[in-house]
Amino acid sequence: MIAPKHILGTFDDALASLRNNVLLMSSLTERSLDRAITGLLQRDDELCAIAIADDEEIDQLEKQVDKDGIDLLLRFQPVASDLRRVVSAMKLSSNLERMADQATNIARRARKLNQHPALPEAELIRPMHAHAMAMFKDAIDAYVRADVDLARSIVPRDDGLDELNRATGRRLIERMAEDPEQLRGYLNLIFVSRCLERVGDHATNMAEDAVYAAAAEDIRHQHSASAAK
Amino acid sequence: MVSVVEMPEKTSQITASGPEVRRGLIEIKQLDFAYGDHQVLHDVTLSIAPRAVTAFIGPSGCGKTTLLRCLNRMNDLIDGARITRGSVEIEGIDINAPGVDVVDLRRRVGMVFQKSNPFPKSIYDNVAYGLRIAGITKRTLIDEAVERSLRSAALWDEVKDRLHVSGYGISGGQQQRLCIARALAVEPEIILMDEPCSALDPIATAKVEELIRQLKQQYTIVIVTHNMQQAGRCSDHTAFFYLGRLIEFDGTAKIFSNPRQRQTEEYITGRFG
Repeated sequence: MIAPKHILGTFDDALASLRNNVLLMSSLTERSLDRAITGLLQRDDELCAIAIADDEEIDQLEKQVDKDGIDLLLRFQPVASDLRRVVSAMKLSSNLERMADQATNIARRARKLNQHPALPEAELIRPMHAHAMAMFKDAIDAYVRADVDLARSIVPRDDGLDELNRATGRRLIERMAEDPEQLRGYLNLIFVSRCLERVGDHATNMAEDAVYAAAAEDIRHQHSASAAK
Repeated sequence: MVSVVEMPEKTSQITASGPEVRRGLIEIKQLDFAYGDHQVLHDVTLSIAPRAVTAFIGPSGCGKTTLLRCLNRMNDLIDGARITRGSVEIEGIDINAPGVDVVDLRRRVGMVFQKSNPFPKSIYDNVAYGLRIAGITKRTLIDEAVERSLRSAALWDEVKDRLHVSGYGISGGQQQRLCIARALAVEPEIILMDEPCSALDPIATAKVEELIRQLKQQYTIVIVTHNMQQAGRCSDHTAFFYLGRLIEFDGTAKIFSNPRQRQTEEYITGRFG
């Protein structure tokens, strides 16, 4: 159900602007991650350079979302669902900025890899990228559509990405022993794998924030606690 | 029909003010109230916890002040105003039953109004007024009660050297705290506050809010306010009224973070058209 408008139109405008900036950050972050991975897999330094350069815009958007969020808290003193909207937007923005940093890290490693002969093991990154991006897109979808079920379903999917990261790491360490001349390249791929694993962590955080925004429920640290039992 | 209003969830505030509240100090049961033919309260059932602050919120005309005034029978003073069904019980006694002494009821249930209304008397005499009405004449007893009440109202330090100047000769915020001191002098159990800060500046408001926080350790406080930030800051429980009906009653944190009812959400977020 769509909530009725506020009596204060400026309140609705401010909330809409905050949300639009978060969604813009999300689009830019998704694009940067795709460019960084494509730059790696297709050995395209140009794409890597663009991914690194775009980080500045995302950093500025993060600051803008924080500024607008604080301004909203100050001017309108939101409560209930409005307060959750503002808080979750600010938290999402922080996670998006960190995701974009991972895109920059991947792009930097890709440029180093591109200076040496191609490693077939770079293909190990492809399924991890697909898994992390699916989590990321679903987290944003869950936030936009206030879909609590979808958001909840994302949290356990992080285990799959963690497992892919571990398997990739094991395989790359094996290859280091077999092919020590390319040791630096395999290390760079391990680093990229780790970056994607972190993207999954941020997507999980965003899914948890989506649940909080839509249902006022804090589901953080429940999955890890139950998994540990 | 009995309206289904859920009791407040156990909150930290409730726990802090005592063990589980099995029975409220004030029990409002299926209350209907009318001014002449115009019914303004419909089937209100509400349990008010002792030694806690309960806030009534809602748009103008929702019946919150009328309900507050039912708690010490202030509406008796209005022609044609009457309870048409239900009851208000304090400690299990129906306050509208025949034989209930209204003067004694109002001593037990004090009231502070929107606009401070000191009597045209000295600060001392304002506070002493209720005691004298109650027949207390011994000077030392009255002196003690005046000092104790002014201290409880956080006003003593500001007026102790001018107790015999007029109650009108102090600031609006001080006048409101003087009225609270006057209410406290007769040692009530319950204090009703009808928008006590609506005429005060932010500093005076903060002083009254801090006073409310201190008073709830000894008194049961019910406050009507249009200021939702104030309800959020001061109260342990909040009741939201609309068109004479109790829509939702719960812990204040719950009401302002995740209310159950759509109407409450729309009101507190400013979406009420």
